[in-house]
Amino acid sequence: MTLTGKRGLKFYINIYGKILVQDFKSKMSYRADFIISNIGMIISNLVGFVTFYILFSNFPSINGWTMYEMLFMYGFSLIALTPLQCFFDNNWNLRYAVKTGDFIKYCFRPINIFFYYISEDFDVKGLGQMAFGVGTLVYAWKNLAIPVTFVTVGQTVLFLIAASLFMIAIMNFAAATCFWIQNSGYIMVIMFRFKDFAKYPATIFNKLFKLIFTFVIPIVFIAYYPSLVVLRPDKVPLLSWLSPVIGLIFFYLSYRFWLLGARKYDGTGS
Amino acid sequence: MNLKKYLALTRLGMMEKLHYRLGTFVTLFGNLIYLVLIYFLWKAIYASSGSDVVNGMTLNDTLVYLVLATALFNFLEVFLVWDMSREIQSGAIVLKLLKPMSFRGYSFWSYIGENIMSFFLTFLPTFIIINILTNGSIALSFNLLFFIVSVIMALVINFSIDMIVATICLYTESTWGINMVKECIVLLLSGASIPLAFFPEALRKIVQYLPFRCIYDTPLSVLLQKNGYTWGTGLLSSLLLQLGWCIALGLVGAAFWSISLKKITVNGG
Repeated sequence: MTLTGKRGLKFYINIYGKILVQDFKSKMSYRADFIISNIGMIISNLVGFVTFYILFSNFPSINGWTMYEMLFMYGFSLIALTPLQCFFDNNWNLRYAVKTGDFIKYCFRPINIFFYYISEDFDVKGLGQMAFGVGTLVYAWKNLAIPVTFVTVGQTVLFLIAASLFMIAIMNFAAATCFWIQNSGYIMVIMFRFKDFAKYPATIFNKLFKLIFTFVIPIVFIAYYPSLVVLRPDKVPLLSWLSPVIGLIFFYLSYRFWLLGARKYDGTGS
Repeated sequence: MNLKKYLALTRLGMMEKLHYRLGTFVTLFGNLIYLVLIYFLWKAIYASSGSDVVNGMTLNDTLVYLVLATALFNFLEVFLVWDMSREIQSGAIVLKLLKPMSFRGYSFWSYIGENIMSFFLTFLPTFIIINILTNGSIALSFNLLFFIVSVIMALVINFSIDMIVATICLYTESTWGINMVKECIVLLLSGASIPLAFFPEALRKIVQYLPFRCIYDTPLSVLLQKNGYTWGTGLLSSLLLQLGWCIALGLVGAAFWSISLKKITVNGG
């Protein structure tokens, strides 16, 4: 954890825990909202599965990828998107905080401003998505007869963490644009839609767009490259092995970009 | 009904949309990338299927359908549920309820201004580009006229569904979940994410009669002159089904709203 500076990891974990408890208390006072949001998340995932099912009932394989391999990537992408949903959901409110001037309160605390802002919201809905993802992954794993060893499971966990960094970075960039462009919510909406295509293999793109979706809007790192390590271990491309490093770089850049915007912020005076 | 006061609202809605020009352009650009993704996905899907025609649709047909569906989605989409839930939470809704016109009318005519702008800024350019790229595969005759009739009804149905969902939010004071469910169900069952022709037979039979497909599938099928949507083969019955849903959802929405209005609790103002 290089991002936390001199304060150390323990200090920040401690604070996160305290903020989390308050967040839970305030959320539980809106019990109906809590339950309905979770149902909404489950239904949206179910609809995703129905879409997937309809597609594959018409076409048995896509570009040399079998249904179970596609399911593996699907499950992988759902899990990889969970940390974004759970820990970084407050990015969606950033543009309101900036516009109304509420953001100024974050500027006066003696802790990392990015950490403080992001820690204020833990979104429980993400856990339902994660359950879906794990179920799908295990189901596909079984049917693909991938051996369950210390190495394969370890690799899966490591590369899931790496994969999760990419979408977080994309959304950090998208959210931080509101420091410069007022009401830039549409940028987040557009970027968030791209995640729907994360579950498809990168081999469907031509060279130019493969490059774009690898290095400009890196959605192919959310499922395709990292999952190849386990899915097709006999020929893993270099980018798969590098994905944890690239993920960290992407995340760090997005963090600096976010801070750059926050430093530029000078309130609305209200 | 004094149309003039409503048209003033429509003009306001149009101006508001024009105010966020940058947003419109970025959205357009984002859509372009999104369409590229759709293109590659379906190209790969068709390449793996081994035949040119699947469920009576060629790759070209499917792409034209999905691209226009996306354009139609951008054109019809309004953030009624979000806006209203924020107004309920902040109390600002009171100002609209006090106006000497019905809240539903007020909302409808303001959002329609946004829709009109989106039609010219997103749908029309997409339609022209698609038609040029496919060497005029979309006929330009009476189908355009029927399409406009159909799309207006689609707009009313879409608004009515949004309004009903927004009214539900009055009770639950929760928006995210309900809106999420609505969006997913509408997008799937309307054929906007996968053409209805690909649905399994049993599912398609049910979906055929639901209002959701009247939003995207019916106007598009009319525009593309699909079998069963041309003059003499069933155009009238499709349009009548749309009209039926327009009236039914409009009435249900109005009744639901007026009952719920008595229960509204506004925090502050």
